[in-house]
Amino acid sequence: MQNRSSLGISLGWALAVILAIVSPLALSNIYWTSALTRILISVLMAASLRTVYLVGEFSLGHVGFMCLGAYTSALMTLKANLPFALTLPAGGFLAGLTALLLGYPFMRVKGIYFVILTVVTSESLRLLAFNWSDLTGGTDGLIGFPGAGSLSIPILGQVDFGGSNEYYYLTLTVVCASLYILYCLEKSRLGFTWLAIRETDRMAGAVGINVLKYKVINFSAACFFAGIGGALLAHSEQALSALEGASFGIMTTIYLLVYTVVGGKMRFEGPIVGAVVLSLISEFTRPVEEYQPMIIGAIAIVIVMLSPDGLVTIPKRVGLRRLRSFAPKSKAAAKPKA
Amino acid sequence: MNGLALGWIYVLMALGLTLIFGIMHIMQFAHGEIYMLGAYVVYYLTASLGLPLLTATALSMLVMAGVGLVLERFLFRRLKVDWSSAVVAATGLTLILQSGSVVMFGLYQRNIPLLAQGPFHILGSVVPKDRIVAVAGAVVLSLVLYLFLNLTRYGEAMVASAQNPEGAILQGIGPHRMSALSMGIGCALAAAGGTLAGSLFTLSPYMGLVPLVKGMTIIVLGGMGSLPGAFIAGMVLGLIDGLVPILFGAAWASMGPLILVIVVLVIKPQGFFGHAE
Repeated sequence: MQNRSSLGISLGWALAVILAIVSPLALSNIYWTSALTRILISVLMAASLRTVYLVGEFSLGHVGFMCLGAYTSALMTLKANLPFALTLPAGGFLAGLTALLLGYPFMRVKGIYFVILTVVTSESLRLLAFNWSDLTGGTDGLIGFPGAGSLSIPILGQVDFGGSNEYYYLTLTVVCASLYILYCLEKSRLGFTWLAIRETDRMAGAVGINVLKYKVINFSAACFFAGIGGALLAHSEQALSALEGASFGIMTTIYLLVYTVVGGKMRFEGPIVGAVVLSLISEFTRPVEEYQPMIIGAIAIVIVMLSPDGLVTIPKRVGLRRLRSFAPKSKAAAKPKA
Repeated sequence: MNGLALGWIYVLMALGLTLIFGIMHIMQFAHGEIYMLGAYVVYYLTASLGLPLLTATALSMLVMAGVGLVLERFLFRRLKVDWSSAVVAATGLTLILQSGSVVMFGLYQRNIPLLAQGPFHILGSVVPKDRIVAVAGAVVLSLVLYLFLNLTRYGEAMVASAQNPEGAILQGIGPHRMSALSMGIGCALAAAGGTLAGSLFTLSPYMGLVPLVKGMTIIVLGGMGSLPGAFIAGMVLGLIDGLVPILFGAAWASMGPLILVIVVLVIKPQGFFGHAE
C-alpha cells in the first residue's frame, strides 16, 4: 500500500513536469507562455509560504520579501550591469538576510501576532520601494532593466533567454530546483525539527532544540525563495511597480495564502495544486475580471468550511468515508456534521 | 492635525479589532472592508435619500453592526476553534467584499459631505474645523465604548468573557452572545471610522487596506486586547505619520511603524499594556 501510493505520487510528479514542459509548445501562444510563467512563480511563492507553516506559523508578508528580491535583482542589473545568474541568487539572499534579521524579534511572538507583524513588514517594504524614489523610481515604477539575457549553461553553452518561451523554461528549471530543495529540507533532520516545533514548541525546547533559532532559519529559508520568486517575476515582466494595486500589494499576499490553504497546507503538493488550480481558474474567468477576486474568495471560504485541509486531501477523505461505511458505526463517526 | 485625525480613525479601527480578537480570538482581516462599506452606506444615505450626516452615520453604524452579527453567526462562529482557518476565511471575505464593491460602486472616487466647514482658530494657529469634529467624534465614540465596558452589565460580561472564557461561561455568560456583541460593536466602530475618513478624504473601494494595517500595528504595539494600549499606540502612530515625513522624508516614514514595532518587540514582546498568552 505504502509502495503503491509512493509510486503514484512519483508518477504524478513526472506527469506534472512533463505537462509543464509540453504545455507552452502545445499552446504556442505568447500570452499563455507568460501566464504560465506567472503560474510557476506563484507555485514557488505558495510552496515557500507553506514552509513557514512547518513551524506552525502563518506569514501574510511573503510578498514583501518577493518585492525585496525583485527590486534587488532589477537594480543590480540596471545600475551595475551584473548578469542575471548573479542577481537572481542575490535577490534571494537579500530577502533571506532581511528575514533572518527580522526573524529574531518576530519569532518571539506566535500565532496571530506573527501574522500581523508580517503584514506590517510587507506593507513597509512596499512603501519603502514606493517612497524611495531616487533608487526605485517611486510612483513611476522601475522600467528599462534588461531581461535574463544570455547565460552560459554548462552543457548547452551560451543560451539566450530573451524570448518568452526560453524564459519560461528558465523559470521552470529554477522553480523545480527550488521545490526540490524545499522538499529535501522538509524531509531532512531540519524539517523534522521544524515539525517538532510545530507540534509542541515547549516540548521541543525541553529536549534541547533551540526553538527560536530553528524558527528563524525556517523563516529565512522561506523568504529566500520568496526573493527568488520576486527576481524571476521582475525579469519576466521587465517592469516593477510598488503601487498598491500592483504585484506587491497586500492582495497578492492574500492570494498566496488562499492558494496554500485551498490546495492544502499539510502536504507538500498542496500549495502547488492550489496555485495551479486557482491561477487557471483566474485565467479562465478573465472575461468577467471584476468578479475574479469574488470567485477566489468564495472558493477559499467554502474550502475552509468544508475541507479545512484543502483540495489534496479530498481524494483521501472520500476513500476514508468509503472505508468507514464498512466499519462499525462509532459514536464519533455517526455524529452528524460537527 | 491630519496626523491626529488619522490617528484617531486608526484607533477606532484598532478598538474594533482588539475587541473582536479579545472575545473571539479571531483576527478580522475583513475589518477594512467593513470600514469601507460603512462609508459607502453613509454616501448613499446622504446622496440619494438626503439624510443629514449625523443620522446617516448612526444608521450606517447600525447596518454594519447587523452585517457583523450575520458574519459572526454564519461564518466566524464555525471557525472559532481554528485561528488559521479564520484568517483564511477573513481574507477570502476581504476579496469578496472588495471586488463586490468595485463592481457595485465603481472605481471613481466619491465624497461624503464635509463634517464642518471653515477654519478654526486655536492659539493663533488655523485648523480646519472638520478635523476637529472628526477627532471629537472619535474621542466620544471611544469614551462611550470605555464607559460601556466598565459600567454596564453587558460590558462587564464582555470583559469577563475576554479575560476568562470558561469562568465567564460558569457565571452564565454565553460565549456566542458575547462574540456577536463584539462583532456588532467592532463593525459599528469601523463604520464610524470609515465615515470620518470618507468625509475628510475620499471614498474608494480600496480605502480599507491602509487603516486595517495601521489598526493591526496599533494592537500589536498596544498589546492585544488592551484598550488603553490601543489609545496610546494610536497616538504614537499618528504622530509618526504626521512628523516623520516632515523631519526625515517619506521613505523613512514608511519604515517608521516597522522599526517602532521591532523596538517594542525587543523590549517588551507583549506590547505596551499586553499580558502574556
